[in-house]
Amino acid sequence: MSTLTLNGVRKSFGALDVLQSIDLELEDGEFLVLLGPSGCGKSTLLNIIAGLETPTSGDIFIGDKRVNDVHPKNRNIAMVFQSYALYPTMPVERNIGFGLEMRGVEPDTRKRAVDGAARMLQVDHLLDRKPGQLSGGQRQRVAMGRAIVREPELFLFDEPLSNLDAKLRAEMRTEIKRLHNRLGTTVVYVTHDQIEAMTLGTRIAVMKGGVIQQLADPMTTYEKPANMFVAGFIGSPSMNFVHGTLAREGDTTTLKTDGKDSTTIRLPRVAANLENLAGRKVVLGVRPESFAANASEPDLTGTIDVVEPTGPDTLVVLALGGQTITARLGPKLTVATGETLGLSIHPDSISLFDPDSGNRIG
Amino acid sequence: MITTSRRARLGWNIATYAVLITLTIFCIFPLLWTFLTSLKYEADIVTQTIQYIPKRITFDNYVAIWTQSGFPTLVFNSFVVTATTVVLCLITGTLAAYSFSRFHYRGRGALMLGYLVIRMFPAVLMIIPLFILMRGVGLLDSRFGLALAYTSFLLPLFVWMLKGFFDAAPKELESAARIDGCTRLGAMIRIVLPLARNGLVATSVFVAIAAWNEFLFALMLTTSQGSRTWPVGLQLMVGEFQLPWGVLAAGGIISIIPVMILFAIVQRTMVHGITAGAVKG
Repeated sequence: MSTLTLNGVRKSFGALDVLQSIDLELEDGEFLVLLGPSGCGKSTLLNIIAGLETPTSGDIFIGDKRVNDVHPKNRNIAMVFQSYALYPTMPVERNIGFGLEMRGVEPDTRKRAVDGAARMLQVDHLLDRKPGQLSGGQRQRVAMGRAIVREPELFLFDEPLSNLDAKLRAEMRTEIKRLHNRLGTTVVYVTHDQIEAMTLGTRIAVMKGGVIQQLADPMTTYEKPANMFVAGFIGSPSMNFVHGTLAREGDTTTLKTDGKDSTTIRLPRVAANLENLAGRKVVLGVRPESFAANASEPDLTGTIDVVEPTGPDTLVVLALGGQTITARLGPKLTVATGETLGLSIHPDSISLFDPDSGNRIG
Repeated sequence: MITTSRRARLGWNIATYAVLITLTIFCIFPLLWTFLTSLKYEADIVTQTIQYIPKRITFDNYVAIWTQSGFPTLVFNSFVVTATTVVLCLITGTLAAYSFSRFHYRGRGALMLGYLVIRMFPAVLMIIPLFILMRGVGLLDSRFGLALAYTSFLLPLFVWMLKGFFDAAPKELESAARIDGCTRLGAMIRIVLPLARNGLVATSVFVAIAAWNEFLFALMLTTSQGSRTWPVGLQLMVGEFQLPWGVLAAGGIISIIPVMILFAIVQRTMVHGITAGAVKG
């Protein structure tokens, strides 16, 4: 059964279209991540699902009930906000139990529920404190406690980790994943952090300009991005794009790069449709980790521009006939700036895009 | 060099303190003078040479104004008018300020500007139309009518000040409350108002003091002892042939006591309220 269904949801503020016909269907227990840069409409979409904003047109179903005109409190949802939105005047216990209090739950039952949620999130020793006396991580846990205590049908998270430092963010990310595994409640999670999206989501909806660019599981989104925007947005360092023209040389397909110092890249994959694309201008997309140093039979050769050792691996920026690519190679690499480096490309890990539309063509 | 800069700093300090002390004296002297006058016998007030410190002290002036004039009624009327004004402002102003702060609707900007423009008209310009209006609806010479008149020019101040405090309360808190089960109004009362409490107190005190001290409207809109407030009553005690300085001074001192008590109670809250949001708290 699907928990959440969106049919042609649009939202405009005056002449500005923030969301353009969003269609989504979420199965029970799914973890959907809405991923995109600022202003792509992901938070607006979340607010529409929550009932905090009304769509200009389109239908929203939670379970099998159309909820367009249902008040947020009656949608059986819980939301965790970026700023945590804890009530500053109330102690933690009342903050967590406020939703139950508003629904007229008996104080005894309420206390048991609050204690249970607080224990699960390890904030049971903080119940008497006010939000102002808590650290960022503790506030985050209390905010999650407030959401889970109501046992909603749907969890909504609005960039819940973006106010935390890097270490705490990683910890809380694991915590959220653990919580989802344990509770199995359907989640819609908004973020602009692609690591969060990749690690947490069972599916990712990458958004731009109020349109879902790709809706797929994380690995598909990563390995087979639907267009250049998705390819560039997910992954760090982002996918390399090389502009050029495809050609056939015997059994192999090559890419002749654009620009005045044109060079040739041998494409390792012999895909069925690649032959039909010969002579066509394309953008080749290769992830940095899909390269390997290969001196004997390189697919491409370039001049080393910058070497960045990160510890677990080395990032090498290569000048390739007027364009640059970044390769993620092994640690302790003994290469120097100015040297020539041969690289091979991992088979099955290349993407080809149309240079005009940016859409994936192979 | 060090000595010169130290001397310069000392000079500046002395100058600063001299200015501050002069200003303090300038502010406090009339109050102190009124207080001292209220403790003097009538014969010691009008004398050949100014007598700063009274040689003899009497509380007769206080007894006289409290027992032999309608002063208690005047003070009571002022209380009623002030309280009514504050309550009227609280009920209507809070809702108006919340609506300005949170909702976007047609005419919102014009309405807010309208509120501000009312403050720009001199009171004298408003008073005749207000007089005719009050007479028309039968609220002339009534405490409620006077409170209504005060509300008309104090409400803009109340709304604009409170709007600032509401703006400072994060909108996400209300969203959270609405998801937790509150209505819009419920979220305002349960979540936003407790947050804006300091602002609410500060704004109410401003309104209360303004209503308590107001003179011109009270003079025009009240005609009888039943609804007259203390500033007007006190002024009417100034007769054509006699000036009861001691009694007037005693009346003045009694009248400022409520304001002083109010300030003492809410001073900390008020300062906190006024500076709230000025720096990250």
